[in-house]
Amino acid sequence: MTASTYQLPPQSSFSRKVKDNFFASPFDCLVTLACAVFFVAIFYYIVDWAFISSIWSSEDEPLCKEASGACWSVIDARHRIIFFGLFPYEEHWRSTLACVVMVATIVASCVPWFWSTLKLSGLWIIGFGIFYFLMAGGVFGLSVITPERWGGLALTIFIFAAVSIIGMPLSIVLALGRRSKLPVIARLFGLFIDFFRSLPLLTILFTAAVITPFLLPGWLQGDKLYRVIAGFAIFFACYQAENIRAGLQAIPPGQDEAGLTLGLTYMQRVTRIQLPQAFRNSLPAIVNQFVITFKETSIVTIVGFFEILASGSAAFGTGKWTVYYIEVYVFIGAIYFIFVFSLSRYGAYLERKLRVGHG
Amino acid sequence: MVDQIKSVETEHSTVNSQVTPAVTMENVNKWFDDFHVLKDINLHVADGEKVVVCGPSGSGKSTLIRCICKLEDHQRGTINVLGTELNDNVANIDEIRREVGMVFQQFNLFPHMTVLENCTLALTLVRKKSRKEAETIAMGFLEKVRIPEQSTKYPGELSGGQQQRVAIARSLCMNPKILLFDEPTSALDPEMISEVLDVMVALAEEGMTMVCVTHEMGFARRVADRVIFMDEGEIVEQNSPQAFFDNPTNERTRLFLSQILQH
Repeated sequence: MTASTYQLPPQSSFSRKVKDNFFASPFDCLVTLACAVFFVAIFYYIVDWAFISSIWSSEDEPLCKEASGACWSVIDARHRIIFFGLFPYEEHWRSTLACVVMVATIVASCVPWFWSTLKLSGLWIIGFGIFYFLMAGGVFGLSVITPERWGGLALTIFIFAAVSIIGMPLSIVLALGRRSKLPVIARLFGLFIDFFRSLPLLTILFTAAVITPFLLPGWLQGDKLYRVIAGFAIFFACYQAENIRAGLQAIPPGQDEAGLTLGLTYMQRVTRIQLPQAFRNSLPAIVNQFVITFKETSIVTIVGFFEILASGSAAFGTGKWTVYYIEVYVFIGAIYFIFVFSLSRYGAYLERKLRVGHG
Repeated sequence: MVDQIKSVETEHSTVNSQVTPAVTMENVNKWFDDFHVLKDINLHVADGEKVVVCGPSGSGKSTLIRCICKLEDHQRGTINVLGTELNDNVANIDEIRREVGMVFQQFNLFPHMTVLENCTLALTLVRKKSRKEAETIAMGFLEKVRIPEQSTKYPGELSGGQQQRVAIARSLCMNPKILLFDEPTSALDPEMISEVLDVMVALAEEGMTMVCVTHEMGFARRVADRVIFMDEGEIVEQNSPQAFFDNPTNERTRLFLSQILQH
C-alpha cells in the first residue's frame, strides 16, 4: 500500500452557512426577518392561548369568560366522558387498565425480541384477552358491561387493535392469493380486493351494522361491534394487501428461484424469503395504512359507537360547556397526535433497522 | 486469467460412459409462447462429468440448464435427473431440487440475511439440521470458498465476487450431487472473475458433476470433459475441449469462437 495523504472535505462554519443561506443580500435579510417575526408571533400567540392566559381548574370556569386564553376547565371537568364514553363511572379503572394493557401490548410487539410468530401470537392473545375481560367483565367478579356501553379512548384503541390483528394476516393471504399462479385463484382474490376497495368505508360499516342482521342467521351475527370490526378489517386488509403486493412485486424473481433450487417449500419461501423482503420494500405504505386506520376509527360514530371523538362531542354537548368545543377538539387532537406520531416514529425506526446491510 | 487457473490433469477429459448418467435429456422441446427455445435436445451427462455449455445470447443455453432443476417446464420429451423423471409429480421435483444445486448469474443471495444465515437456511429447513450443526457445516463451506471472515456480513456489504462465492457455498451446503452454473461470472467485474473460477476449478477437481453455462473459454479448456455449443435452441456441436477449440467442425461454431476469442 502506498502512503497517501488523507484529505477532509472543505467545511464551512455554522455562522458562515447561516449567512450564506439566510442573509446573503438585503432582500434575503428582509425575507428572513419577516418570516422570523411571523413565526415568533404565531408561536407566542399559541403559547399564550394554551399556557399563559389559560384557565386550568374546573372550579375556575366562571373566570373563563374574561380570560383571553384557553378554558381547560372543560377538560378538567369532563375528561372522564372523553376517555370512557358511556362506560359505567365506578368501572372506569377497568377501562384505564385495559388501555394500558393494550398500549403495552402494542409497544411490546414493536420490540424485536418478540419478532417470532410464536411470541407475537402469544403476546397478542394474552394482551387482547386481558383487554377483553377487563372491558366486558363476567369473570373474577367483574360486572358484565356490553360493548354498546364501551366508549372513549378504550373503544378507539380496541377497534384499531382488533382491525389490525384481524386485517394484517388477512391482507397477507389476499396479497399472496392475488399473486397465485392459478389464474382462477388470482382473479377471485383480485375481484374480492377490488370490490371492497371500490366501496366507501362508511358503506361497509353501515352494511355491517345495519343490513347484515337481516341477512345472517342469529348465531352468526354477533354483537354489532364485532360485525363493524369485521367489516373494517376486510376494508383494511384489501388496502394493506395491495401495499404488500407492491412489496412482493419488487422482489427480483431470482429470489424465489434461489429458494426453489435449495428445495424450500412454498410456505418456507413465503415466510423466510418473500414476506420479510416485501415488508421491507413497502414499509412506508404499510405504516401509512395503520396511521390512516387509526384516524378512520372515528367513522364508527356514524353507526352509533362513542369512540373518543364522539365522546368528546358529548363532553362539550351540555350546559355551560358548549362554548368550549375548541379546547375539547385540541385535547382530542393531542391524544390522536400522541398515538399517530408514535406510530410514524416507530415506522421510521423500523426503516432504519431493516436497512442494515442494504446500502 | 487462464494462467491463474491451476492446470487440471487430463484424466478428466475423457468421458466415462459406464457410470449411471446424472442427467439424461431426450428429445426435449420447449416453447415460450410461440418461440421454440429448445429444439429436440438430447444430452447425457455422466456422473462426475463436467460439461460446459456455450453459445450466443438467446441460444437457449440458460433455459436448458434451468430445465434440469425444473425452474422451467419442458413441453415435449423426457428429462431424467439422477434416475428420477421430471414430470408433474411434485414429490419428484422436490426430491430433484434437493439434490441439484444452482448458481445464478445474479447470485440471488437473500439480502435480508447474513452470509451465514443464507447458507444455513436450507440446512435447517430442508435437511432438518440443528442450528449449531448447520452453522458448522456452513462455516466449513465458507472456508472452502475462502470467505469465512465475512460470515456475519450482509450480501449487500460484499463485492460481486465474494457474493458469488457465498452463493456457491450456499449451494454446496445442501451437498448436491449435481451443480448447475448459469453464467456465474457474467455479472462480475473483470478482476473478480478469477476468484470465482478458482473455486469452481477446485470443485471440479473433487469430482463434482457440473453443468456450466459460461463464456470463460479458459475455464472450459482446463476443466471441461466436454464442451457443448448451442445456437437457436439446438445443440450444434459437442466435443472434448481440445477438439472443440482446435478443430470446430460446424461453421456456426467457428463463427462464434472467432467472435469471442478475437480479443
